[in-house]
Amino acid sequence: MALGTDITEVDRIRRIAQEHPQFLTTVFTPAEIAYCQSKKNPYQHFAARFAAKESVMKAIGKGWLQGIAWTDIEVVTLPSGKPEIRPGTTLAVEMRAQGIAGFEVSLSHCREYAIAVVSAGVAVPDKKGR
Amino acid sequence: MDDKEIYEKVKEAIVEALGVDESEVKPTSVLFDDLGAESLDLLDIVFRLEKAFDIKIPRGGIQQDILAAEGISEQEVIVDGALTELGAQKLRERMTEVNPEKIKAGFRIDDIPTLFTVQTFVNIVKQQLAKK
Repeated sequence: MALGTDITEVDRIRRIAQEHPQFLTTVFTPAEIAYCQSKKNPYQHFAARFAAKESVMKAIGKGWLQGIAWTDIEVVTLPSGKPEIRPGTTLAVEMRAQGIAGFEVSLSHCREYAIAVVSAGVAVPDKKGR
Repeated sequence: MDDKEIYEKVKEAIVEALGVDESEVKPTSVLFDDLGAESLDLLDIVFRLEKAFDIKIPRGGIQQDILAAEGISEQEVIVDGALTELGAQKLRERMTEVNPEKIKAGFRIDDIPTLFTVQTFVNIVKQQLAKK
């Protein structure tokens, strides 16, 4: 199992997004943008997702400079509220190369900071053998 | 655009992105260690440089870029996310602005951004301007 974690300043995300209009579309998928913008404090949610993407990159040991696009790491929120990492094409190739079956992710944020922890590893069957 | 003009514009972008004092920024300044940059700052700097110079800076594939002209396979230079002896040699040849002592076999590919100096960005801009 590999771990990755990252902490991101909410205000830094807000400032960069406001100064560089291409930031949001470079880093986030349309679904992520729609989700975050539907929230009362969108930049807290953008910051948490940015932290999750950085955490995935740390867990796999490859980042945007090695060809993993931020939009290739999509954070989706399940109906239960649990976040999940949905890999795009390049990340899926990298996961296969590293034998990674999937990711677990946990997100948290306050007004100033957002944090993410990601674990990458081979899936272990549960007690029912699933 | 001459080298001095390019350097001054790169310096300005870095000063604005990092909120550091102009006097702290030298061509040899290491972004992470000397100027306190974080990964998000690199993206901020890239956006600023693209705007200032009207260029597009490639987002990824740095290891392929290092080897592009050499015809060497990725497996010969990177094993388990770390540079081989040949990989370290090629990176030293590519990043001549970086202290070669820092680039040795076993250096992690994902740590390459920690090597970036102000001059690294000057070189990137010059390469992209030459392609225009």
